[in-house]
Amino acid sequence: MEKVCVLGAGSTKYGKLDDSITDITIQASIGAIESAGIDPKEIQAGYISNVFGVADKQVHLGPVIMSNLGIPEKPSLSIESACGSGSVSFREAFANVAAGFYDAVLVAGTEKVTHTGTEWTTTYFSYCSDFFYEGGAGASFPGLFASMARAYLNEFKATEEDLAAVAVKNHENGLLNPKAHLRKKISIDDVMKSAVVASPLKLYDCCPFSDGASAVILCSEKFAKEHSKNYVNVIGSGRGGSPATLQGRDHMTTIPSTKLAAQAAYKMAGITAKDIDFAEVHDCFTIAEVVDTEDLGFFEKGAGVQAVREGRTARNGDIPINPSGGLKAKGHPIGATGVGQVVEVFEQLTGKAGERTVKDAKIGLTHNFGATGASCAVHIFQGV
Amino acid sequence: MKQEFVDAVKSGKVLAKKCTKCSHLHLATVYFCQNCGAKGFENEILNGTGTVATYTIITVPPAGFEKYTPYAWVVMKIDDSELRVSGFLGGIGSPSQLPMGSRIKITGYDDRGILLEKQ
Ligand SMILES: [Zn+2]
Repeated sequence: MEKVCVLGAGSTKYGKLDDSITDITIQASIGAIESAGIDPKEIQAGYISNVFGVADKQVHLGPVIMSNLGIPEKPSLSIESACGSGSVSFREAFANVAAGFYDAVLVAGTEKVTHTGTEWTTTYFSYCSDFFYEGGAGASFPGLFASMARAYLNEFKATEEDLAAVAVKNHENGLLNPKAHLRKKISIDDVMKSAVVASPLKLYDCCPFSDGASAVILCSEKFAKEHSKNYVNVIGSGRGGSPATLQGRDHMTTIPSTKLAAQAAYKMAGITAKDIDFAEVHDCFTIAEVVDTEDLGFFEKGAGVQAVREGRTARNGDIPINPSGGLKAKGHPIGATGVGQVVEVFEQLTGKAGERTVKDAKIGLTHNFGATGASCAVHIFQGV
Repeated sequence: MKQEFVDAVKSGKVLAKKCTKCSHLHLATVYFCQNCGAKGFENEILNGTGTVATYTIITVPPAGFEKYTPYAWVVMKIDDSELRVSGFLGGIGSPSQLPMGSRIKITGYDDRGILLEKQ
């Protein structure tokens, strides 16, 4: 297996964007190409993740992006895996470079939905569940995570205020991220007083619907060394699955695919959770970050809220979680999110994260899943 | 197979599939045993009664559910089995109306999916 590296990374701002889905994807891709210092002609394949291109009248994005980059002859793959599309796409690109099929590829994730409004997004996002049992019976996405939250609050010593503390922390991080969707300091009280979306989750427990695109250049170690001294090694890659429904799981306070993906990624990297310096995790809702940090092995089951209370997951804590602001504050353009996490880790490990730099970080982890964690990918990165 | 499952739900029952090789029980909508991979199943009809395993109260609904809002979406643990099934439970506006563990039952199926009610 070839060693695989991230050579460059680019991203649009996340939020409400005016440009088309094609334009924002091109902008992020050009950012990645320039950051990598390569010629587009050196790209041998493209992996383009997106969920609701239909909302902006463009599906089959792969060839459109490649053509706009002046490389219409290069193969591409357009990938959908709900909110986990970006990391699943990254994994396919990783596997192909590791197998030696390609020396350098473009991985771009993108989403453009804010113009459709809350009802459209609430309805279409519910199609990412197992619709017969969940979306079709009135479960919105906040509703599914709210059901996990109620189970968690019932099983462990945790309160709604504990969950709110996750949002407060991620908003603090988002304030330092110029590309974040929500750049606003909030208090526990603000979260508690925000409108209930799906009890027990309130508006500020939920990530926003965002537009945005992120891209990276993934390549072999040989290619990386020929082009740069400041790249990042991908040292672990793992995937896993969970029953598509919540009802299919014996425990509703854990996400089985996260554990499987993390175990595989740690094994490939030859490290454990203790060796991770910081992580970008899938905090689509505050409860998700708590569950993720436990399933990834940073804390015991039920101890995730205690860690937040003690500030251990803050940017200056012993295991900073979501220094970018996470899905909660940085935003969640669903097809882009998994790639955007890699952009953050790349910037952190190459000294480009500015004010939000995690001190002395050498190893970073990304964790991104689709729907309620039915699909999941975990990747581990090390600076050079 | 889904229609058979829906027909059972309409009469307040849950159609389950029991693996003929290892006895593992599944909801009807599965084609290979999750435990042993075998393909042979025999039907088992369970009573559509159980307890609330977890739930949410939806106040921002997806399209088609506006006129029922607020309502609960519930995961029910089925009595005398390890299986769970989820569905729509109307008329719930506050958590105090539906404590965890409350007894509920399946009452039908329509464009709101599997319908549940308090027992
Ligand atoms: Zn079996």
